[in-house]
Amino acid sequence: MSAVLQKSAKAEKGALKGAIRIEDVVKIYDPEGAAVMAVDHCSLDIPAGEICMIVGPSGCGKTTLLNAIAGFHSISSGKIFLDDELLCGPEKPMAQPGSDRIVVFQNGALFPWKSNLDNVAFGPLMQGKLGKKEIYDKARSMMADAGLSGTEHNFPGEVSSGLRRRVEIVRALMNEPKVLLFDEPYRALDSLTKSVMHEALLEIYYKNKVTIFFITHDLEEAIFLGHRLVIMSSRPCKPKKIIDVDIPHPRDYSVLTSTRYRQLMDETIELVHEEAKKAFSAGEKEG
Amino acid sequence: MDQNQTVALLKRSMPFQTVPSDMLDAIAKLARYESYARGDVIYHQGDFADDVYIVSSGTVQHTLGIGFQATHPEKILHSGDVFGWAAVLDNQRSRLAKTVCMERTELIRINGEELINLFRASPETGDIVMSRFATMINKEYTMPEEVAGHVPHFTQVPVTMATGLTLTMFRLSQWLKSPKPYLMFTGFGILLATWYFTVEVWKLPRFVDMPGLTVVMKEWFSKDPVYGLSIYTPEYYQHIWVSVRRILIAFFLATVLGVPLGLFLGWSKTFREYVFPVFETLRPIPILAWVPLAILMFQGSETPVIYLTFLASFYATALNTMLGVETIDESYSRAAACLGASKWQTFKEVIVPGAMPFMFTGLQISIGVAWFSLVAGEMVSGEFGLGYVINTSYTMVRYPTIVIGMITLGIVGYTSSALVRMAGDYMMQWRVRELALGGR
Ligand SMILES: Nc1ncnc2c1ncn2[C@@H]1O[C@H](COP(=O)(O)OP(=O)(O)OP(=O)(O)O)[C@@H](O)[C@H]1O
Ligand SMILES: [Mg+2]
Repeated sequence: MSAVLQKSAKAEKGALKGAIRIEDVVKIYDPEGAAVMAVDHCSLDIPAGEICMIVGPSGCGKTTLLNAIAGFHSISSGKIFLDDELLCGPEKPMAQPGSDRIVVFQNGALFPWKSNLDNVAFGPLMQGKLGKKEIYDKARSMMADAGLSGTEHNFPGEVSSGLRRRVEIVRALMNEPKVLLFDEPYRALDSLTKSVMHEALLEIYYKNKVTIFFITHDLEEAIFLGHRLVIMSSRPCKPKKIIDVDIPHPRDYSVLTSTRYRQLMDETIELVHEEAKKAFSAGEKEG
Repeated sequence: MDQNQTVALLKRSMPFQTVPSDMLDAIAKLARYESYARGDVIYHQGDFADDVYIVSSGTVQHTLGIGFQATHPEKILHSGDVFGWAAVLDNQRSRLAKTVCMERTELIRINGEELINLFRASPETGDIVMSRFATMINKEYTMPEEVAGHVPHFTQVPVTMATGLTLTMFRLSQWLKSPKPYLMFTGFGILLATWYFTVEVWKLPRFVDMPGLTVVMKEWFSKDPVYGLSIYTPEYYQHIWVSVRRILIAFFLATVLGVPLGLFLGWSKTFREYVFPVFETLRPIPILAWVPLAILMFQGSETPVIYLTFLASFYATALNTMLGVETIDESYSRAAACLGASKWQTFKEVIVPGAMPFMFTGLQISIGVAWFSLVAGEMVSGEFGLGYVINTSYTMVRYPTIVIGMITLGIVGYTSSALVRMAGDYMMQWRVRELALGGR
């Protein structure tokens, strides 16, 4: 069975877009002054359609890397490609933010002054690609697909935080992005809501294959969702070890009780703990 | 418990507050009254959820079952609180909690299905009540959002439930129901009593020359006022109108110029570097210091006063709008950029609405300082206007008229800021709905 699955996955891969290649990226904040090195010669290849989970100690530079891909700030050296197209590099230190790479923010960034429906329709409306009616029809049907019908005319502040996250993901998917960039989107949620969100995310992912770059602190989440786990070293950020999560997709919550999951968990906990300890003692020295 | 008492209880409970009264009557007809003794269990976790309960008197302890997470797993419910909302959810017809009476408790219970049928008949109201239920659930319990997802919806059309006016009315009715009005009247009572006793009864040394309460009131409401100004004389309204017109012009100009300036100051770093230092140097200069220059700069008596009134308002509006832009979370503009918004679109769709809460704070301050500087301006130059009344009455020893002018200023000033607040509510429905639906 798995052979067939893999084969079909490969056949699909040819058509998929959204491969990210990070080459020797360095990011130094405030080069003239304090010169904080946040990312140090980091290289990472993420094939199209992969869920790549980034794990690493707090303050190691994960968000910095994500922001560089999204185009929120410049890099000091190195190159980042999206499908062999240069996003940023020596001549162009800052990528142009665009709807091919959409960020889902840690604290959520739905516009509170727009209804959920208007939020979802926002991207295409701004880009002016489609007619207004088409956009709203598409927005309604995408919201219905994600189980959000009935909340269209509520403001984000009126629905639960779990629903808000879902609206935000739908808002991103409306633009048919190649890459979704998640920066600890579920950090503030309780574990019950989180588990519902994980399954919802996977469901959405199986319907719209995009590349997912997902930062998290939660190992359980990382192994449950990811194809691969990239464990970052403490600052400056650099992949320390990459773990293949060889549990076949599609997954559901029964994965959490499998022996393979337990093994992977044990493996990673040790690695992550080591880095966290390093980061902690480094922090103590600095402080 | 009779029908009226039931309706009164419904009105006090959060989900039913804005329900029209014919609907309330219908709901009250569904309600059944019950009383429990201390220690009685109303329902256990897992029981079939048939009814929604509203506490009339007494206290009920509500303990959420294991496996559900809540901000307060244990909650004490008092008069007016609603519980047992599982009965109105789709697909969630078993109790998630256990409820026990902690003392003798009276309550009403309403069958969930009957209630929903009632709402089907008038979907608009039904959706309001249900969305309030959902908000209540979301506020109290960090439930898996599924639970909130079970809240039924009755309308397919956009729910235009909370327009500015209905919300203002709702706030007003809430305010009338709270102890605040009584405190307010007590406050006024104390003020007036102090005035009356110090001046007219005890005749304290420094107070004897002051116009007393009864004298002022008699003059104010007299058909034939001694000093020529009362609610029956046309001059009174002319003075008010002149002041109001000056305020309107100045406030309008201050808003039209101050809001864009503030937005650009907050938005563009370069623009800010040019303009802000100038702005910050001019701003601390007191309005009164501008009086001579204003008279030199502008012709006639009208424009200098309007200029002075405008100036303070303008600073307040611009500064607060700028702060508003600065406090907008960076991730909103970043999200807009990700979604393909141009710089200008981001300004229109993110910066302007995002700055609005602070902007309206600015406008509230602006209208306040406008009255302040108006009176200062009118006292120095100008004919007509309430400040002019106060000043000339002083020089012509018409003391009661001074006080009439002051009280009128207070009333008109208060009304104008209330209007600004209403405009703000109207333009920021999203914010009002967040606040009002949270029962705050
Ligand atoms: N604008 C900035 N100027 C200077 N230093 C910065 C700036 N932004 C971040 N840093 C520093 O760079 C380092 C990496 O920050 P980053 O936010 O990327 O970490 P992170 O891995 O996302 O951390 P967390 O897990 O806590 O979110 C931190 O030490 C931080 O203090
Ligand atoms: Mg971070």
